[in-house]
Amino acid sequence: MSEIRIKNLNKYYGQLQVVNNFNITVKDGEFLALLGPSGCGKTTSLRMIAGLEEPSSGLIQIDNDTVYDSSENINTPPEKRSVGMVFQSYAVWPHMNVYDNVAYPLKIRNLNKDEIETAVSKVLHTVELEGLEKRMPNQLSGGQQQRVALARGLVMEPKVLCLDEPLSNLDAKLRAKMRKDIREIQQKFGITVVYVTHDQIEAFEMSDRMVIMNQGLVEQVGSPEEVRESPKTEFVAEFIDG
Amino acid sequence: MTQKISQYFQQENILKSLLMILIGAFCIYPLLTLLFKVSWIDGGLSGQYFEKVFKSSSTQSAFFNTIIVSFGTALLSCIFALPISWLLKRTDLPYVKFSKTICCLPYAVPPYIGAIAWISLANPTNGFLNELLFGTGFFNIYSHLGLIFVMSCFFYTLVLLNLLNAFDRLDPSLEEAARISGAAPRKVFMQITLPLILPSLTSGFLLVFLASMASFGVPALIGTPGDIFLITTKIYTLQKMGSFSGIYQAGALSVSLLLFSIMIVYGNLWIQQNLSYKTISGKSPRPSLVPLKKLKWPIFIGLYLCLFILFGLPILSILVTALSEVPGKVDINLMGFANFKKVFFEMSETSRALTNSSILAVSAAFIGCILGFMIAFISTKTQMKGRKFLTTAANLPFTTPGTVVALAFILAFSQSFFGLPFSLYNTSILLIIVYVVKYLSLAINVNADGLEQIDNSLAEAARVSGANWFTTLRTIWFPLLRNSIFASWFLILMPCFSELTMTILLAGPGTETVGTLLFQLQEYSDASGGGSAVLSLVVVGFVISLNFLIKKMSNGAYGL
Ligand SMILES: Nc1ncnc2c1ncn2[C@@H]1O[C@H](COP(=O)(O)OP(=O)(O)OP(=O)(O)O)[C@@H](O)[C@H]1O
Ligand SMILES: [Mg+2]
Repeated sequence: MSEIRIKNLNKYYGQLQVVNNFNITVKDGEFLALLGPSGCGKTTSLRMIAGLEEPSSGLIQIDNDTVYDSSENINTPPEKRSVGMVFQSYAVWPHMNVYDNVAYPLKIRNLNKDEIETAVSKVLHTVELEGLEKRMPNQLSGGQQQRVALARGLVMEPKVLCLDEPLSNLDAKLRAKMRKDIREIQQKFGITVVYVTHDQIEAFEMSDRMVIMNQGLVEQVGSPEEVRESPKTEFVAEFIDG
Repeated sequence: MTQKISQYFQQENILKSLLMILIGAFCIYPLLTLLFKVSWIDGGLSGQYFEKVFKSSSTQSAFFNTIIVSFGTALLSCIFALPISWLLKRTDLPYVKFSKTICCLPYAVPPYIGAIAWISLANPTNGFLNELLFGTGFFNIYSHLGLIFVMSCFFYTLVLLNLLNAFDRLDPSLEEAARISGAAPRKVFMQITLPLILPSLTSGFLLVFLASMASFGVPALIGTPGDIFLITTKIYTLQKMGSFSGIYQAGALSVSLLLFSIMIVYGNLWIQQNLSYKTISGKSPRPSLVPLKKLKWPIFIGLYLCLFILFGLPILSILVTALSEVPGKVDINLMGFANFKKVFFEMSETSRALTNSSILAVSAAFIGCILGFMIAFISTKTQMKGRKFLTTAANLPFTTPGTVVALAFILAFSQSFFGLPFSLYNTSILLIIVYVVKYLSLAINVNADGLEQIDNSLAEAARVSGANWFTTLRTIWFPLLRNSIFASWFLILMPCFSELTMTILLAGPGTETVGTLLFQLQEYSDASGGGSAVLSLVVVGFVISLNFLIKKMSNGAYGL
């Protein structure tokens, strides 16, 4: 059961409230998209789930583990949350080759060499990067780097995978292919995904449910069909129209 | 119309040729003269002076000492700078901005001030620290370790500035990705951060090695009394012997030092080009800072304790020495402003030195910022032939140890120059020239940075409106670049005001400067008499206020 439960989550930067009373339960194996215009607080919300940013108040549970609770003073550091993440900038380590990049989460967990090798080759097969194990990141295209980042996020079979606009640096054609690939991989692994995007096509095509945010507030939560057919607020109607 | 076009070219070309002649005559010619005079004897190539120098056991030990001290200083500087840079850039340390300024501040202060302070703190006979230990003479500043320590107190800022820059360019998601992958902060540092900033750390190490090798003030004040000579101080002693052979041996040593520095400069360049990673990404979020939690305040206090030992204590010691009316006695009843009175109103040298230094530094800064602007302009905004020569040649004296530059100037200009009927030797003009030559590169870099941020279309619009090349330079580029030009003016002024290394070799009798006066007071007359302490305070106050002025004027782009 890899459910994410978020209750009354708030985040302030000084006086500025960038996430305002965020509530959601992401079901096990669900693909949730966070959609909204630039600066609405998507990245901040995602980073709070991953533990890279400390919320101002609220509660986050992953898989029934409380990883953040302001009332109990609980804040699990990111390395103990078992959350995979794909960064917008990919963050593929330039001093390690493809294999070492992908194997890193397993090496940290002190798995033995054979286990690591099996797991890495399996995940490299999934993202179609076989044969590039020894390449250094500067010898890879943007799309390939993106897959390395994805493979690294998947290899430790995390409870939850967070993706922050993973496709925004790719060209349109590759983007279309990766939308399908990511969705397929997600269903194959059956993992819970939180996917940040400002691109409606991605949200509508890939997600089971989407959250539409505006200036830190949740405007609507619903399946793509619900959102398309009955936008709850004027903002949502305009946003998906435009 | 065609005539007009050729006219534009003429203006540019005349300016460029003029600059090339100046740079050739003052940046390249002296160094070539040095090379030539020490290796070309009686019409033939000869290693005579080199042989003489390298056979002498005292120069051999100078080489040995230089390597030991430079290596030690570079290492200790890295050890100081690495944790500080990480604390400042990647943790939630309180008051980061302020701490960063404090940590970088020694960069602006001439290291010989530190030597003066540490002599009063830790000389084996009556240093304050030894007095605290009941005169056991436990601390002896006149040693290799003393040299390494005092130089590191200043030169670690070179590594620190390099590392702070490296952290800024390091996409924080690279480190966050490791956290997410399950690595605790310490592992992230060892496996991700450290390897990625290693090229910058190495480069900082080499910079400090170079600076230590070139430094003169600290080894002269601390090394020489302890009988520890470095190459620079050896060159100085040989030159001061005044004999023909002494000067030429000094020349041979200088050439060796020069070759050594050039090797390091190119080694560093190679590392930067071949071993560093591209770690910047387009859109990267702010770093998630490592929470220090309960250790936050202990670490903060610890850092400031270290900073207090590194430079709070020395400043305090200078202050006490300056105020003590009875030399060597720390007693609040014996404190007063007698030393200040003596230095400012009784010693005629002081006002001469302050006037000289101000005039020299202001003139050098003025000439340097104009030349720097023009060369930067030619190198960034035109496609003229020879622009690479201008920047490369101007950079050469900047990376050459000051002692070597000065000796080259002595050899090049002591007799008549290019058959001119007068000699520049022993004149203040030569000092101004050597200051400009040494620090011109700073001005070029600052102005080139500024120019690169201005779009060419602004000037093209002026040309289309009918302005000629020079008018465009004067009415568009120059005003747009005012801030960079001001900044470069200050950046030259600051080191020139307290310059010692080159001045001590080149200043004629009667041309005291702040640097040489301080040196003489410390060396010969009254080391503990407070005179040098008073002047040190003046220098520290001057450079620090200038630094804040630059920072304010450039909105934080320059200054610490
Ligand atoms: N460290 C910070 N200090 C102050 N304000 C911040 C900080 N980080 C983010 N913000 C502000 O918080 C708001 C939300 O930022 P966030 O990065 O979550 O937006 P986003 O929805 O991901 O936008 P984008 O689509 O542009 O990535 C923005 O207004 C941003 O300016
Ligand atoms: Mg974002």
